Amino acid sequence: MPEAVSYFFMSWANPYLLFLTAAGTFAGIYVGAIPGLSVTMAVSILISFTFKWHVNEALALIAGIYLGGVYGGARSAILLNIPGAPSAIATALDGYPLAKRGEAGTAIGLTTVMSVLGGFLGIAALAIGAPMLSDLALLFAPRDYLLLAIWGILLVGSLSGESLAKGVFAGALGVLIGMVGLDPMTAEGRFTYGSVQLSAGIPYVAAMIGFFGVAEVLVQLHQLGVTPIKQNVRKIVPAWGLVKKYLPLSARTSAIGVCIGALPGAGGDIAALMAYDHAKRTTKDPSRPFGEGAYEGIVAPETANNAAVPGAYIPMLTLGIPGDAVTAVIIGALYIHGMKPGPMLMIETPHLFWFCVGNLVLANIFLLPMGLSGIRIFAKIVETPKAILLPLILVLSAVGTYAIENNPVHVYWMLGFGLLGYFLKMYGFQVGPVILGIILGPLIDASYRRAMISVADTPLDFLAEFFTSPISAILVAALAFTVLSQSRAWSAFMGRLRGAPAH
Amino acid sequence: MLSSCTRTLAALALSAVAATATAAFPDRELSGVIMWGAGGATDVVARALAPHAEAALGKKIVLTNRPGGTGAISTNFVINAPADGYTLLFGAENPQLHQVLQLADFGYEKFFPVSILGRGVAVVVVKSDSPWNSLKDFVEDAKKRPGKLKMGSTGPGGLPHTVGSMLNSVTKFQVISVPFDGEGPGMTALLGGHVDMMPVGVGAAAENIKAGRVKALAVIDGEALSIAGQSVPPVTRDYPEFGKYLPWGPFYGVWVRRDTPDDVKAVLVRAFRAAAENPQFVTLMKDRGNVPMSTSGVEADAFLKKWQSVTAWVLQDVGAAKASPDKFGIPKP
Repeated sequence: MPEAVSYFFMSWANPYLLFLTAAGTFAGIYVGAIPGLSVTMAVSILISFTFKWHVNEALALIAGIYLGGVYGGARSAILLNIPGAPSAIATALDGYPLAKRGEAGTAIGLTTVMSVLGGFLGIAALAIGAPMLSDLALLFAPRDYLLLAIWGILLVGSLSGESLAKGVFAGALGVLIGMVGLDPMTAEGRFTYGSVQLSAGIPYVAAMIGFFGVAEVLVQLHQLGVTPIKQNVRKIVPAWGLVKKYLPLSARTSAIGVCIGALPGAGGDIAALMAYDHAKRTTKDPSRPFGEGAYEGIVAPETANNAAVPGAYIPMLTLGIPGDAVTAVIIGALYIHGMKPGPMLMIETPHLFWFCVGNLVLANIFLLPMGLSGIRIFAKIVETPKAILLPLILVLSAVGTYAIENNPVHVYWMLGFGLLGYFLKMYGFQVGPVILGIILGPLIDASYRRAMISVADTPLDFLAEFFTSPISAILVAALAFTVLSQSRAWSAFMGRLRGAPAH
Repeated sequence: MLSSCTRTLAALALSAVAATATAAFPDRELSGVIMWGAGGATDVVARALAPHAEAALGKKIVLTNRPGGTGAISTNFVINAPADGYTLLFGAENPQLHQVLQLADFGYEKFFPVSILGRGVAVVVVKSDSPWNSLKDFVEDAKKRPGKLKMGSTGPGGLPHTVGSMLNSVTKFQVISVPFDGEGPGMTALLGGHVDMMPVGVGAAAENIKAGRVKALAVIDGEALSIAGQSVPPVTRDYPEFGKYLPWGPFYGVWVRRDTPDDVKAVLVRAFRAAAENPQFVTLMKDRGNVPMSTSGVEADAFLKKWQSVTAWVLQDVGAAKASPDKFGIPKP
């Protein structure tokens, strides 16, 4: 145990490691805030860069970038309605309306505190329950991923805005976009028309930047004469009362974040969306209606996506299995530095586990002052004259999209989706469900077929397994409860239960 | 007279420029295109190799990942770049199947192998609490219950699918092949008990074998291999007729366009030989379960041709090829 403590504080006591963690966190916030510049990309570039370094130095820098980057995505989501990273999509839904009310400063302050809180809860789960949680994650069968994705797709109802029919249409459009490319099971082309570019599929970050960024720019062109809202930047650090009020919610959404993050097939983006949905379903009276700037709507996704970071470390450190795209790159880095990621990692190099935990704690501590500083300047972005701001967003969107895979075709996709998104918005369709469809459609497709292939295409065996496997049964029950609890019959039943004692 | 004189002068000047240009190769940064995404096996190999090659070349290699289309995006990119040796392709075995799987109309025959860095060896693994203790146990059980046991795979043309097809044509066993997004997710499913068996690269299985989470039944090679301190028997012990496919495994390498000038090719071959034989890189390759090769030119071409012929015809025999290898002049093994 004393050894664990010394490894834990290794990066705290060494000034160089301390500096690297701080620099990583700071850089991460800005990498995360720029749409298209992803943490995955930054980390993989760093690997060639840190080649000659000691492995601890590389890990310190990477941990900072990872935590900072996931947090940074919220900035552009709140200020510009362009999620800086897929894990900030849910944050834009209520964050941007807050900025439009002149509360960008408060919103960023609140997301900073809540991200740090979510991060700590996630790290606690990593430190205490890593082996148990990773064994649990292994038990998730393809059909359980299917249930999880179906549960996620119910979110279309929350994101539809004025009309459910339009929401369902938008969600289906997203599923269609997600289907383009090579079939993951048979490598058969789908909607590719023989084109190599189409066979590579449509990267959903390109679609995200188009639907959110470019579409928003086009919509704003209608309001050129409107003077931007003055941002109130006097109160940045949220009052303790506000934080305390959201503690129970953030504890629940952090749990969602850790668990989804620890699953090898799902990451921070799905965690944040499911946390948003959870907040919307369980909050009786939000500070404002959801979608119009509810604090709950930014608290939930931001705690969940930061809790998902230590969550993704869980299978990586205990089994050598990546929890998401970034940890996949970190595993590659460990190989290059001569380590052997796998179930033996914790036995052969026990210091690595506690070093990583200590590092994440340190990066999370740095996140608080770094996140809270500079908000006043950042919030001014919203007050920038549109003639400067809008072209800037367009340039940023194009550069960010090109950077995903250095493919100019993605930029055309992004612009096309921007135009489509503009017309969708003009006719009252929300773009949220489209992105949801792009993320979850392929997961549903692949998980369903994997589950069906596993039972040799016998539908009865397929159905039976939903009730014979404990994890599946729990997920089915949760899914059924979520659907039923929204029905009229259920509220009538609950009403009668509550009314009964009075008679 | 004057015009011919100027022409001669111009030609002289041009050839002088050309000569100095090639003599000084490389005189600027090179660009390296990685066939697969960040964190994948090809990516790790490329990023570990590049710094050593940079040292030998004296110029930086800027690496970018261009994944997609099972590698077709990257081969298309490099084939459309100038044939000046400044655009390198860091790839794996996939393009050798692009024609028969109809993903592109060309494979590595359009490229010059600067270096085949090494080949991976496949190993058949099952969960450690499973009843099978040899490949024969598993195959016999699968034959008793055709279409009941599940094999993890990574889709048509991938390593597990190809090894499964070879085993099928030798033993006539029948298993359900469940495709996952890669070897990692497939191994995860095996550890969770969602599939019964999976052929994977030794690198992906070694640590799990060492930890006792999975059992190695056989290596897909001609002789026994020591993995994590235990000797794993070769597939040919139980099934000698498997020998006709061997040696077989995934491989990694560096390519440039075939019509690149010869002197440029020579510079690259020299530099990448030094890089591929650097002890640090050799250790990384071995740690990941690969057999270091570092071959180039004619020898590498022969290796590539044999690999393509064996694999393409196995896929054709089990009906997984979309176009017959005959159509592309791929000879029968």
